[in-house]
Amino acid sequence: MYEYARMKFYCDEDRCIECNACTVACAEAHELPVGIHRRKVITLNEGIEGKEFSTSIACMHCTDAPCAQVCPVDCFYIREDGIVLHDKDKCIGCGYCLYACPFGAPQFPRDGAFGVRGVMDKCTMCAGGPEPTNSIEEFELYGQNRIAEGKVPMCAAVCSTNALIVGDADSVSEIKRARDAAKGKGPMTPYGWDVAYK
Amino acid sequence: MKKLLPIIGTFAFAGNVPLAEPNQAPVHHGNTLISPQMIEAIPAWHKYGELFLYLQTHWVKMIFLLVIIGVPAVFLVHYLIIGPKVFSHHGRKFLVFPSWQRVIHWIAALGFVFLVPTGIMIIYAKFFGGGTPVRFARYLHDIGAALFAVAVIPMFLMWLKEMLPRLWDIKWFMILGGYLSKEKKEIPASKFNAGQKMWYWFATLGGIVMIITGVMMYFQDFDIALLKNLNLHQIDLLRIAVIVHLLLAIAITALFFTHLYMSIFAIKGSLQSMIDGCKSEDELKHLHSIFYKKIIKEGKDKELAEKCEK
Repeated sequence: MYEYARMKFYCDEDRCIECNACTVACAEAHELPVGIHRRKVITLNEGIEGKEFSTSIACMHCTDAPCAQVCPVDCFYIREDGIVLHDKDKCIGCGYCLYACPFGAPQFPRDGAFGVRGVMDKCTMCAGGPEPTNSIEEFELYGQNRIAEGKVPMCAAVCSTNALIVGDADSVSEIKRARDAAKGKGPMTPYGWDVAYK
Repeated sequence: MKKLLPIIGTFAFAGNVPLAEPNQAPVHHGNTLISPQMIEAIPAWHKYGELFLYLQTHWVKMIFLLVIIGVPAVFLVHYLIIGPKVFSHHGRKFLVFPSWQRVIHWIAALGFVFLVPTGIMIIYAKFFGGGTPVRFARYLHDIGAALFAVAVIPMFLMWLKEMLPRLWDIKWFMILGGYLSKEKKEIPASKFNAGQKMWYWFATLGGIVMIITGVMMYFQDFDIALLKNLNLHQIDLLRIAVIVHLLLAIAITALFFTHLYMSIFAIKGSLQSMIDGCKSEDELKHLHSIFYKKIIKEGKDKELAEKCEK
């Protein structure tokens, strides 16, 4: 890892076979409630020859995270390695982060007897939250803290075609460049990246 | 009967049975926010997403601070320099608000008592500490909205005729209702003056817009055919809803404070007319001169006065 590493996800649209392993593994690893999908696999232009592709999407851990900018409680914090996390004890569930997010990453489980909207839940890049690392509280609120254990985030770890890769931005783009070069393609921007990483 | 069952089933479960789409994650049925639609909406973020980001980071907190501190400050200065209007409450009194109108008014008012402070708590959530107390305020905001929703349409209908703009409202605005002078003179206004009319339109039509945008944000996930016609994505509609909700809230909060100041402080005893429904002759003659002349001319004054004597 480099000194000024920023952790990024990247999903290779040429490799993603929409197997949904990342979605299922994420939900199982973090014991997410029904209806919450921190990571989603989505196919666009379905049935249109030459244009159809699938991609896996979750929180993109934006450098200038709009969610963190609009939050009225300032419950977001961006780690030194660029992972965008939030404090569920501060969150009021107002939904502003969802409106500001280009990717629809923030989600709101409905809880309680009246099904009112609870606090926000989103991808943590398997880095937990502000609670003590690997504590039970942290697991219950945010899921596993695999980063602290030195493991690859769950979704990328299970990706059978290595379409989904995660790591510091420089390493990720090196892999991507190598793949593009091997295929004789010029540099191309993955779907949505121009919005997240401008 | 057996032949009918599939038809009944189609009607009973139409839209409820999630189709097994092989290309999707096991999506919570019908959730458009986690479907391809959400991804298709990414390039459109620069339209409303960026606008919301800009407004929320640059203006919202500042403008609301201006309203909740500036407006009461202006009224304090007005109270100290010009002072309240005092009318005699000894003479005849006329019934202006029948009891059913007062009930509707107070249901809406109770809604506002919930809505405005909790709304301010949501905007300045950090100042109020966030977490459970502000989340609870958010729930109270919903309860206030439900109360207000009950009253808003009856309120809109019951005063609609008297609230239509009239020519003398321009004159009222030119002298700002006479509130800038200590002089007691006849102000051109019918049952409601131009200021009250402005408040009425913002509170009713504006209130309905607030309810619609609020409900959209409450459910977040809904499916309407309108989206496809307008070429808008679900998330764009939510972004428009939050922007409209916030901007309209600025105007409504400012007018709500004005309404409170006028009824409680600026015109002594005027709050009484919303409690027992009666206004004094002196007050009507000056502040609602056109209405006063009308009831005298039509000979309704005795009838209306009798109702207040009981």
